[in-house]
Amino acid sequence: MPQSKSARTFRTLAGWLVVAIFFFPIFFWTSVAFRNARDIFDWPPKLVNFTPTVKNFEQVFGISLGFGFGTQETVNPGGGNFYMAPRLVDSIVVATFSTLLAIAVATLAAYCLSRMQFRGRHQFVNWVLSTRMMPPVAVAIPMFFIFKQLNLLDTYLGLVLVHGLMNLPLAVLLLKSFFDDIPSEIDESALLDGASRWTIFRRIVLPMAKGGIAASAVLCFIFSWTEFLFVLTLTQTSIKTVPVVSSTFVTSIGTAWGNMAALGAAAIVPAFIVILLVQRHLVRGLTMGSLKQ
Amino acid sequence: MSTIQVRRFAISDSPWPWLFPLVALLMVFTIYPLIYNIWLSFHEFLPRKRTLAFVGFSNWIQLWNDTRFWGALGVTFIYFIIALTCEIVLGMAIALLLDAELPGFGVLRAVLSMTLVIPPAIAGMMFLLMEDPQFGVITYFLNELGLLAKGTPILSTSSLALAGVMVAEIWQWTPFMVLIFLAGLRALPAEPYEAAMIDGASAVQMFRRLTLPMMSRVIAVAVLLRGIDLFRVFDYVFVMTSGGPGTATYTLSLYAWQQTFSNLKWGYGATLSLVSLAIIMVLANLFIKLFKVRW
Repeated sequence: MPQSKSARTFRTLAGWLVVAIFFFPIFFWTSVAFRNARDIFDWPPKLVNFTPTVKNFEQVFGISLGFGFGTQETVNPGGGNFYMAPRLVDSIVVATFSTLLAIAVATLAAYCLSRMQFRGRHQFVNWVLSTRMMPPVAVAIPMFFIFKQLNLLDTYLGLVLVHGLMNLPLAVLLLKSFFDDIPSEIDESALLDGASRWTIFRRIVLPMAKGGIAASAVLCFIFSWTEFLFVLTLTQTSIKTVPVVSSTFVTSIGTAWGNMAALGAAAIVPAFIVILLVQRHLVRGLTMGSLKQ
Repeated sequence: MSTIQVRRFAISDSPWPWLFPLVALLMVFTIYPLIYNIWLSFHEFLPRKRTLAFVGFSNWIQLWNDTRFWGALGVTFIYFIIALTCEIVLGMAIALLLDAELPGFGVLRAVLSMTLVIPPAIAGMMFLLMEDPQFGVITYFLNELGLLAKGTPILSTSSLALAGVMVAEIWQWTPFMVLIFLAGLRALPAEPYEAAMIDGASAVQMFRRLTLPMMSRVIAVAVLLRGIDLFRVFDYVFVMTSGGPGTATYTLSLYAWQQTFSNLKWGYGATLSLVSLAIIMVLANLFIKLFKVRW
């Protein structure tokens, strides 16, 4: 649409202003991670004019003591031992393996749903979609008791299973949309040449859908990384992912805001980098493959 | 020809071997918990005896008479409707604003997507910090603008607490709407707009008569996916208010969780979570039927 120069300038400024408002909490939170307690609790709140420090990161990660991942390191400067050291490793292990599980199962099903005609296919897709509607709490309560009996509480295996399963509907529908993009004539001519479905899947379709599979994997990873309720419910002491660990920084004695912000920043920066990799497929991922960019 | 004949009988031609792992896992994740939940809703945990006892319909009767359940249901609906409306309206406005090739707008779209990868629990804590009555930056701005009396704690005042939580929700998920709507806007054909321009249609007319109808599917998908998540909100209320002050921010998910794990009323928690499940299923399927959303 043709617009006057002043209208364009106004629109540019408005766009930048709106996004700046949305960016502000991220900026503020990250800046808190670099503050001393005195600068955090100041009134009026400071935006930029504080003395930066990396103390919070040192405490949270136990860097000054060598790498303290996975230990019961305390980070409370007051002396009480009530903070658990962050478990970035737990987050990475759970997210990685649950992603592998979800993608492995979902590629098979998605290929089938994309290529094969069978009765009830449409209903099957709807069933997969409807499992996405289950409230996590309605799954977490029975899972807690089932896991208790199977001794899966507080184990990697348990969380990997639950996060993998949680991501299945997304992975299936998203991968199906990527497979749908590959012309099915390729399959049909290969079938005529005598190739089996399995060969076609492995040799032709999988390599062609590489980009889509990678994007789906990234999204599954992020959803496992940010998941809260299942981890809160199904773990006790030996495993904790970052979001749940962060919530333990709020205690009745007070909140270690600096440490919490440091941990939070460390958890979200990798996610920002990762999301840039899938920018192109982000909308498709967010809508479970229903809209293409 | 013979190769084709051989192929026709290959086991991989049947859909079920391909679907079996998925079906098996989804059964474990959906059907089994569902049955277990229904079973649990007819039982209750007896802490003294440390056993589950069959209690018939007493959990369901208790649910009907539980004012806190109806309160939680009300809070969930208010949260769902207000947050969804704000996200759609704001999302559409920002999408229309950013739908142009102006300096830096590509960067802006990338920056907006950042909020979506922040764990909601951490986003909740960001706003917990910013809404703190003593040193929160949002509190400070609201005080300076005269919108909030000095010293009023947003998250511990029952009339404001839910709004305080929703700010975090809306902040994090409006970009979800923006990105989806932007993708929809960019896929729109140019011809109808050119024709409308020639006919002298105003921008508002073009939005109502062209953009909205052509975007209806995109909007329906975004509303469905976001609506499902809004109805089962847990993370924000858990970290920001834990349902307080009083019961002002108890949502259905949080109430079910606390009944199960804090009050050890396993059966009643299961009953509550089943109600939440049933409402989501009915509303979502109704929406899918009504707006003919297809995957």
